[in-house]
Amino acid sequence: MTWVSGLVALVAVLLPVALVAHVLGGTEGRDQAGNGSAEPVAEDGGTVDGAESTITHAESRAWPSIGFTTHGKPPGLRRWLTTVDHKDIGLLYICFGVVAALWGGTDAMMIRTELLTAPVDVWDLQTYNALFTTHGLTMLFFFVTPVFTGIGNYFLPLLIGADDLAFPRINAIAFWLLPPSLVMLRGGLITEVVGKALAPFGVGVESLLALEPIGVGWTLYTPLSIQTTNPQVDVALLGLHLSGLATTMASINFIVTAFTERAPDVGWDDIDLFSWNLLVTSALIVVAFPLLGSAVVMLLLDRNFGTTFFLTDGGGPMLWQHLFWFFGHPEVYILVLPAFGLTSLILPKFTGRTLFGYRFIVYSTVAIAVLSFGVWAHHMFSTGLDPRIRASFMIVSVAIAVPSAVKEFNWIATLWNGRVRLTAPMICLLGTLSTFVVGGITGVFLASIPVDLLLHGTYYVVGHFHLIIVGVIPLSMFAASYYWFPLLTGRLYDQRLARVQAVTAVAGAFLTFVPLLLLGYEGLPRRSGTYPAAFVPLQQTASVGALLLAVAVVLWLIVLVQGARVGPRVRDADPWDLRETGQFTREWQWFEGQLAEYRDQSDGDGGSAAPDRRER
Amino acid sequence: MNRALCAVAGGGAGTTVLSALLLLLEVETRSAIQIFAVIARFVGTPGNQTIGFLLFVAAGVFAWPLLFLAVEDYLPRGPDPAARGVVFATALWLVFVITGRGTLRGPLLAVYVGYTLFAHWGYGFTLGAVYGRLTDRPAAWRDRVQEGRETP
Repeated sequence: MTWVSGLVALVAVLLPVALVAHVLGGTEGRDQAGNGSAEPVAEDGGTVDGAESTITHAESRAWPSIGFTTHGKPPGLRRWLTTVDHKDIGLLYICFGVVAALWGGTDAMMIRTELLTAPVDVWDLQTYNALFTTHGLTMLFFFVTPVFTGIGNYFLPLLIGADDLAFPRINAIAFWLLPPSLVMLRGGLITEVVGKALAPFGVGVESLLALEPIGVGWTLYTPLSIQTTNPQVDVALLGLHLSGLATTMASINFIVTAFTERAPDVGWDDIDLFSWNLLVTSALIVVAFPLLGSAVVMLLLDRNFGTTFFLTDGGGPMLWQHLFWFFGHPEVYILVLPAFGLTSLILPKFTGRTLFGYRFIVYSTVAIAVLSFGVWAHHMFSTGLDPRIRASFMIVSVAIAVPSAVKEFNWIATLWNGRVRLTAPMICLLGTLSTFVVGGITGVFLASIPVDLLLHGTYYVVGHFHLIIVGVIPLSMFAASYYWFPLLTGRLYDQRLARVQAVTAVAGAFLTFVPLLLLGYEGLPRRSGTYPAAFVPLQQTASVGALLLAVAVVLWLIVLVQGARVGPRVRDADPWDLRETGQFTREWQWFEGQLAEYRDQSDGDGGSAAPDRRER
Repeated sequence: MNRALCAVAGGGAGTTVLSALLLLLEVETRSAIQIFAVIARFVGTPGNQTIGFLLFVAAGVFAWPLLFLAVEDYLPRGPDPAARGVVFATALWLVFVITGRGTLRGPLLAVYVGYTLFAHWGYGFTLGAVYGRLTDRPAAWRDRVQEGRETP
């Protein structure tokens, strides 16, 4: 074990070195100042094409490296640790979400590795159980929700004309609760590293090594979650509770902002679709997350203080399932509604038409939110629930397909006769639309009790919901990242590589999860690290698809990181030619103002700027 | 700062990234790959993991960055030093993945190959990016990018 402690010590020593190197390098305005003034900029400049522009030294110096938000802020790390600016916090959320996604994605790749072969020959079964547990929890609570909260943080105020969110400090607190929550949830691994590092010094090692990654499933079903002795379950429950607090705070902030901070000329009838979806999502969070928090506290009491909420008659394991899914099904819509909002917002921009049926898309969003609280027991059809109750939940579950289909048809109608431009964000959105068709319709079948009884315990369910949460959700995030990238960084990325990335991601999603649907039809049970050899070809196909998804993720990182570092500078605030179709919306207008400000600044500094690269 | 020192600082940062990624692999896989045995085999001290790891760090911080400095101008994907660093690290990875393989096979071999490539790209990118920033060249080579685009 000495090598692990050596490694940790080394990382501890080298990390400050890296930080110092980073700070010495400067975080902003690292381009060297020169003399001369900025070249006049043509109003109509096609701008994003680097070939057309010569960037002068003065303009180069004033160009921000991340976000047009550097004005009047402390340099370096201190800016990010102390910020209450909604744009900075938005970027922090997004970065945090990306780290969580890479971690949860590593879990997923390990799951697919184990499933390459029929027997248990890569990781043991306990590790496999831990993998699908932490994969689910990490992705749902620490990837999807934080990334959408981050996008909302950055863009909600810009879209509705607010200066900032209503409560900037609560906004900062809500973000900073998340990193400790993630550490607590993933405790088993982290404590193992720390424990092994401390082993040579003999400090409190046993208690650290006693925590093992939890393997009770992300739904934390009782009685297993009560009987499991691993103390990490308690730590993870506390982490989950903390993340629930953070999410609730953020959503209250969004609601108050949408109600009270809108610009005078932004009425309810012309709020954009992303803000609508974020508002409805926040309402769902305010109703659903406190319930999860309470249920988690009851579970902690059962585990540690001898209460029997989920153990005896009158409560019992069924009570946990009811409470959990009363939160859990709205949670599904908490995850997906912002993705629908992004789709509704961005899709019309690349079809040259306004969104078809704006009002009905808003109604469908609200309808989904209301209905989502009446469908939870469809997760429990196979538990022996009273058939009359099951029937009512089946009806509502089938009914919720209607507003979902309203959205899909309106999107298709928006494409119809439009001037479709196959840019990277548009390819992602077409992927969103198509994965939603397959992922959504397979869900309608599951709402039917007799079908569900056959398929509930199989891979079919895994395939169904992953087509939504690995199709619709990340693809809409990719689309948003590509669409707003010029606004975030002032630069443009490699468009061709981005299109390749988008196609790879869509293909990867289908190749991974359609085989899982087929495995489910053949009756293969889910949540098992081993399976009969007859299923090897389909499982291996799914693993190849997962590899494709991993490649897409790495490509996305390359496109964005290299775009932010060395992409051509955007010199006109309309990189997507939105003015032509009258869709130059409020956030781009804000961007135009920022660009003009930077240009003026460089003009002003141009003659006198000293060639000191660290002056800012 | 002197260019060699810049490269060494880049190497330090890159080695941190690489070590952290390999540590994550080791812990996540519950030591199924035995990455430190891999490292020891890679540097030629299969019997001694501690010495092996120290040599690995020394190479990552000093030897490879100085080699990078020497061959930088001959590497493709320039003038961005970070992109060149990735090419450089891919070459290092080839040696690493072949000499360090040991008895790994089957699905574990796939994880080992894919993940170590990703980790080495992290090393090369960090090495090049930090080195490029410290040598104060971003402005210079970005301008070269612009000029390159202007004269087809």
